[in-house]
Order: sequence, then C-alpha cells, then structure tokens
Amino acid sequence: MKPELGWLDDPQTFRVNQLPAHSDHRFYQSDTDLATGQSRFTQSLDGTWQFKFAKQPSERPVGFYEPDYDRSDFDTITVPEHIEIAGYGRLKYINTTYPWEGKIYRRPAYALGQDQKGEGMFSDGEDNYVGAYLRTFTLNPELRKQQRVVVQFDGVEQAMYLWLNGQFVGYAEDSFSQSEFDLTPYLKDGENLIAVEVFKRSTAAFIEDQDMFRFSGIFRSVRLVGQPAIHVQDMRIIGNLADDMTTGDFSLKLQLNRHDNAKGNVKVAIMDADGNSLFDTTEAVNDDVEINHKMFKNVHLWQHTDPYLYQLKVTVLDEQGAVVEIVPYQFGFRRVEMKNKIMLLNGKRIVLNGVNRHEWDAKSGRVISVDDMKQDLKTFKENNINAVRTCHYPNRIEWYYLCDQAGIYMMAENNLESHGTWQKMGAVEPSYNVPGSLPEWREAVVDRARSNYEVFKNHTAILFWSLGNESYAGDDIAAMNAFYKEHDDTRLVHYEGVCRNRKYEDQISDMESMMYDPPKEIAKYLDNDPKKPFVDCEFMHDMGNSLGGMSSYDALIDKYPMYQGGFIWDFIDQAIETKDEVTGQTVLRYGGDFDDRHSDYEFSGDGLMFADRTPKPALQEVKYYYGKHIN
Amino acid sequence: MANTSTKQVQIIYGDATLGLRGEGFGYIFSYERGGMESLVQHGKEWLYRTPKPTFWRATTDNDRGNGFSVKSAQWLGTDMFLKCTKVDVAVNGNAIELPISPENNKYSNHEFADNVTITFTYETLTVPATTVTAAYTVNGTGKIKVSVDYHGKAGLPELPAFGLRFIMPTAAKGFNYDGLSGETYPDRMAGGETGHYTVDGLPVTKYLVPQECGMHMQTKQVTVIRNRTLDNTDHDNHDFNLTFLQAGQSFAFSCLPYTAEELENATHIEELPAPRRTVLTVFGAVRGVGGIDSWGADVEQQYHISAEEDHSFSFAIKGV
Repeated sequence: MKPELGWLDDPQTFRVNQLPAHSDHRFYQSDTDLATGQSRFTQSLDGTWQFKFAKQPSERPVGFYEPDYDRSDFDTITVPEHIEIAGYGRLKYINTTYPWEGKIYRRPAYALGQDQKGEGMFSDGEDNYVGAYLRTFTLNPELRKQQRVVVQFDGVEQAMYLWLNGQFVGYAEDSFSQSEFDLTPYLKDGENLIAVEVFKRSTAAFIEDQDMFRFSGIFRSVRLVGQPAIHVQDMRIIGNLADDMTTGDFSLKLQLNRHDNAKGNVKVAIMDADGNSLFDTTEAVNDDVEINHKMFKNVHLWQHTDPYLYQLKVTVLDEQGAVVEIVPYQFGFRRVEMKNKIMLLNGKRIVLNGVNRHEWDAKSGRVISVDDMKQDLKTFKENNINAVRTCHYPNRIEWYYLCDQAGIYMMAENNLESHGTWQKMGAVEPSYNVPGSLPEWREAVVDRARSNYEVFKNHTAILFWSLGNESYAGDDIAAMNAFYKEHDDTRLVHYEGVCRNRKYEDQISDMESMMYDPPKEIAKYLDNDPKKPFVDCEFMHDMGNSLGGMSSYDALIDKYPMYQGGFIWDFIDQAIETKDEVTGQTVLRYGGDFDDRHSDYEFSGDGLMFADRTPKPALQEVKYYYGKHIN
Repeated sequence: MANTSTKQVQIIYGDATLGLRGEGFGYIFSYERGGMESLVQHGKEWLYRTPKPTFWRATTDNDRGNGFSVKSAQWLGTDMFLKCTKVDVAVNGNAIELPISPENNKYSNHEFADNVTITFTYETLTVPATTVTAAYTVNGTGKIKVSVDYHGKAGLPELPAFGLRFIMPTAAKGFNYDGLSGETYPDRMAGGETGHYTVDGLPVTKYLVPQECGMHMQTKQVTVIRNRTLDNTDHDNHDFNLTFLQAGQSFAFSCLPYTAEELENATHIEELPAPRRTVLTVFGAVRGVGGIDSWGADVEQQYHISAEEDHSFSFAIKGV
C-alpha cells in the first residue's frame, strides 16, 4: 500500500493497517518475570531518535524513511517529548477556538456541503508542521523468537505515518489512544530502521479541540511487543454482583491468537488479595475461552473506601505443558446500576467528590511520569477526592491501574472535543458542527469510543464511559452512545453536550450532566421531576483565587438524592516552567507568553494545584466539603 | 512594670502634627498627610506612609470574568488618591479646637491626658462621593484603638473591599496569627481550621496572574515580626514586633509585600517588584471570591459588600 498525504484531509481515513484495539493486559514469560513486573516480551523504543523538523508538508524530507536516504542534516529529539517542548514548534495555548484562528480559514470537510471535501486543507496546510522521526533497533533475542512482533505507540499527536525498513506499515490518528501495528512482515535480522512522520494537523484537529496547550509529536512511550504462538489477544473480565450484593458474578472471555491452530491449554486461576486460591480451571486452547457467570459467595466488594482487588491469572501452556505466557489482572467485584433514577454502586447511592484531571507536568507538558500520577493520587486521598474524569481524552494506561488500586471512581472519557465548531464567543452556533450527524465523520468518532472501551474495559475503577467533551450532539455521538450500550451493560454512559441539543436526550447519556450550572438552576432541574440523575461534569471553576461558594453545591447532596455530585474544574493548572528572559529565574508561563496568538492566556490555570504540583489555598475547602460525603 | 493603667500619654501640640508619647512609644499624626505618620515602639518605626482606608482588591480572575472590576472601577481611583478633608482631636473624650498654630500656642511642653482621639475624615473620589473616618484613640500604655466607619450612599457600586492599610518601612520576616488556616474568604472558609499559625516571610500566593490573595478571615490577633529598619543609625537586627488585636469582633487581614495596585499591574508574579515593604491591611468587610465560573457568574449575593450601606470595624494595636 502507498501512503497518501490526502488522508490528512479525509475524516474517513483515520486508521490504516492498525491492529484492532484490545485490552491493556500485560503478559510475561514466567512467574519470575511476573514478580519483577519486567516482561521479556517487550522492548522499549523510548530514548533518542533522529529528527527533522519541517515547517509545512511541502518542506518535509520526502522519502526520509528509505534506508539510503541522506540524513546527515537530521537533529535528535527525545521520545517521548512534545515537538514544542523540544523547541521546534511554538508553544501555544487556546481554549475553544481553533489554533489557526485569525490565520487560516477552515471549515470541516462535509460540514457545509457534500461537495466541500477540504482537499489540501491539512496536507497542504501552511501551519501543518511535520516531524520526521527515525531510529534503528535490533530485536532482543526473546522477541525474535516470538511469532509476531508489533509496535505500540501510546500517544502520537496528531497524525502519524509509519515505515519499517523503507516499507510503509500504516497510519493513525487519535492522539490519545494506543496505535498498534504488526511489524512481522517487514522485520529483518540485525538492524531495523523504523521511521515515523508526525503531522501537527489532520482532520482530527477538528475533534481534538480541547482546552489545553496544543502540542504535537510522539508524547508517550513506544515499544515493541513480541507475541508467542498462542497469545491472549484480548480479554474481557466482568466482576459483577448478584442482586444480593454479596455474591460475586464473574465472567471471562479470552480471545486467543493461535499460530497454525496451535494446541495447548489455558489455565485460569482466581486468588484473593493474599494469594489464596478461590477458583482454578484448565481449558483446551481455542479461539475463544469463556467462563460465564461463575458465582462466588460473600465476596469482598470494591469501593472507594476499600478498593479490594482479586487477582486473575491466566496461564497459557503449550502441548507439552510448558508455559507460553502468563497474563495477570487485578479486578474488583462491584456493581454499577441505575435504580429509581439514582446511580448506585454496590446498591448505594454514588456521590462523586470528583476532579477533572488533564495530564500535566510543568516541565514536560502532557508527558507525565508515573511519579506524577502517584503524587496526584496521594493528593486525592489527602483531600477526600474519590473520582476523576479523564478530561478530555484517554490517559496513560498506568493511570487506570493506579485508580483501580486507589479506589478512584473513573469517568473514562473519549478523545473528542469539537468546541470551536458549535460555540463561538460563548454563543451556541452549530452551523458547521462536527461530528454532528455527518456520516463522513461517524466512523472516526465511533472508533475513538471503541478504542477507549477495548483498551480499558477491564478496569474496575471505571464506572462511567464519557463520550467526549463539548462537541454538541447529533447522530454520530448517538452512535458512540450506542456502541457502549451494545458492548457494556456494567457501566453507565455520560455526555454533557446533549444538554445543548435536547433532541437527542433519549439516545445519549444516562445522566443529566451540566457544567457550571449555578446551584439554584440545579435545584430547579431537580424540583421538576427530572428524567435523569444530575452530575456536574465540571463545576467550581478554580481559576486563580476562586472556589468560593462550594457550600451551595454541597447542600444539594443531602437535599436531592438525584444530585450525585460532580467533578471540580480542574485538578492542576496548565502552565509551562521556563526561565525568565530577564532574571533567569524559574517561572511558570501561560497562554500568550510565547507570542502565541490568538490565545486564551491565563485561562489555562484553573487547577486545585499550581502547575508545579503545589496545592492552591482552596484545596483545604475541597477537603472539608468532600470529607462530608466520603463514600 | 508599674501599674500602667494609671499612666498618661504626653501630647505634643506641634504645628503640623500631633505627637503622642509615652514610655517606650512615640506616635505622630500628620494634619498634612491626613493620617498617622509615625508609630514607634521601642525605638522602631512601623510606618512608611500614613495608613489609609482601602477599597480595592487586585482583580481576581473571577472578577475579570464577571466584569466586577469594571462596575466598581471608581473604587480603584479612591483607593489610590483618597484625600483627607478633615481632622478632629479629642482629649479625654472632649473635642478640642484643632490645635494648629496659633491655636496650639496655648499649650506647653508638659501636656498629659488619659487618652487622646484623633479622627481623620476622608472623602471618596466616587460619584456620588461619601466619607470614611478613621479614629485613633491612644492611652498611656501606647495602646491604640482604631475605629473605621464607612458611610453608605445610594448609587455607589459595590465595594471590592473595605479596610485600613498600613505600609511598613521594610519587609517583614514573617507574621503569626490566631485565626483560620490557609487563605480564606467569606465564601471559602469552611475548610479553615482555627489555630495559631506562623507564616515565614510575606508569601504572595502564586496565582498565574497576580491577584487578590492572602486573606485571613476571623482573626483574633496578628503579630508582624521585622528585623530591619530604614534608620541609618540602627545596626541591630534583632526581631521586633507589632501586634494587632481584636477589639470587639474578630477581623480579617492580609499581610503582603504589595498594595492591591502593585498586584493589579503585574501579569506574572515575577514582574512584581522586589519585596521591600510590608502591607498589612485590616479588613472590616471582605467580598467573596466566587467560583461558579470565571466568565460571568457573580459571587453569591450574601458575600457582596454593598456601598450603599454603612460599614464599621475596629481593632487595637497593642501598646508597649
């Protein structure tokens, strides 16, 4: 297949040769590896890559991925790192308007008519800078032995083309979901040359208009993964509860990749947190292995105050009984449901003491460390925060595991925001809204829902799927909702934007979700026999010296059972640490401080934490009010 | 020390000032500068410029978003340029003719009283204008009772703040207070825990854009600790302090190195000048910060400060 630059302009082309999304389980060769957490099936490609920056597509080094291309003028860049933090692209912060505001006139393809295909809009965009990434690797011996070798990109913003040894492999959009490609056909012994061409913009730009610094580049890890001849490709774990709320209702579905119909056995074991065995079974390898509704009496429930996790261990054995791979997964028993228009966890009303959390590190932007995550969870715990909305995109995979362990209720949000297509200078004006009901945009957004679901579906902490943020509503978002409803009856679906287009309220979102509604307006809603329980997906806008008046929201909790709390906007300021050009001291800078225009300036600083992860004074107020409703 | 309650304060009937002295203290009130010009305890000066009523707060992000600063902009001018229009003096509670020359020729170099009250009347630069008075009553121990009264007037926009601002000659080493933990406002103080707190230096909360900050609600006392003066003969760098006490109701205060106007003018914390003064403001009324949103939602009504109503507060400065 030949890659085409035109894919950047076409909302219907968003993944080419990508492997289907699957669960985020890890797998190991032995119990020893499992104990260390280091899988010999993986090989990191993080580190220094060769790099060439081009200001626009026409200036890019065409053919740079060819083994004999002259790359003597290439620089280097770190993976993961934003191209802007590395100093090639200009730092820019903007909220709702598109980052090309005042510079380039663009309308989304098909939004104003079937004939408006947007050809050249991005493929020939003068603002569409390009990063050519390249490095060599030699497969580790352990990976060379495996049946299949794939490469995983955990996050590349905003569109990427991939080559191996000069041959085109595939194309991906969706900056915040993992993209995986099969490299097996292109691999060779010895040194391999992997090349990635990253474009700053594509049609994805219209649906990645989140209120954030606008970055590009390979900003999360890249790794090679070797998969053995029998491999658990996907798993679905359901740890539900029976109606008595004490009996665990366990189901498991494994999807196995088998080379040449390889034979063997799959051993499934469940242990409690202390390692005591509760269940053990061995099944012959097949394409699918299922355990349905296995009941466990008197299970230890998972909840915020006691996030008890059981241990699932799947061991794949070959015909000789030798271990092929071991897949561990911790899961909890818990039940999420809507009953009498109230959302319940394990039979009890949920009260969300939540925060919205962008991934942020003042030094590196959205390249964050596991230490950052752990520190955030410590802050959650110290301040009675029990819930997080992954605003407004899937986060690093580790975060979901950590939330399972910490008992943080997650609203797992898709990578979707098209704010600038329907709201202009504060007014609702959806004349060129995407995805809207446009068929040309539907698959791209449903694919984002699919990726979010497939990757994270086994995380106990996720109580809600969220379709995205501030994208208005139409048939396409209704299709995303339908996707979740078809695939997951163990969780509820959230979407705020339907409140902007009531026509879809019976098709989208299990809850009434509003942002920044004053307490009096919420009371009015709740006083009028509403259809759905109410959640503030964003409230208490903590910009600068703020967070006054929280008592009025708190009062709703006791008064209205259908008021189920919310998520403060937001957890941490987005500001970038740099050196003051005058004094040389370390300072934090915000939108507009990089000559970036049009900008929304300090609007990026709405956190309970300053960008350097020190707390704002308002945090003690959150601790107090959230502490009144620990659940 | 002897029974201080019987001590009297000495009055110096100057031509431009009224001086009040006693053991360990010396205060000067300036007719020209419209306020207390000097507050010396144990040889250390505590005033850089005369304290004045204050009405402005550095615009918060929420204030900007809901247009509060625009609506109340008159108070910024008043905060900066407030003028004193009248001075009254009372000795032992009895009003006397303003003791300026030649009226003061009738006094001597040994005038004493149990207490002296000097009251400054200020006229706001608003339309319509109104008045504020600040009265200082000093007794023989050097204790100063301060009462500040704002006279409400129909048609005036809401007040961003109402307090009395002391600017001290050097930056404080720190302060301690009996009140609530952290930075609190009327609509954000439920999480504040009552206690005795010590603060090092004069921290400015590092909001991305400098703005109103550092408020401490429900305070019983605050002690400012300094160790430097501007006196060229003073080579001592030992700590010395001044204490503001509750007189009647508890008070709110902030202790920062900047005035509201200095904070207002910076877009980043690093643009603020090097800290060189202490700005201690005692507030009689504090507006809430709000938080529903930052692009229009008002602070809840009960946390506004009406300028159409009277506001009064008092506190004391501890004597020696």
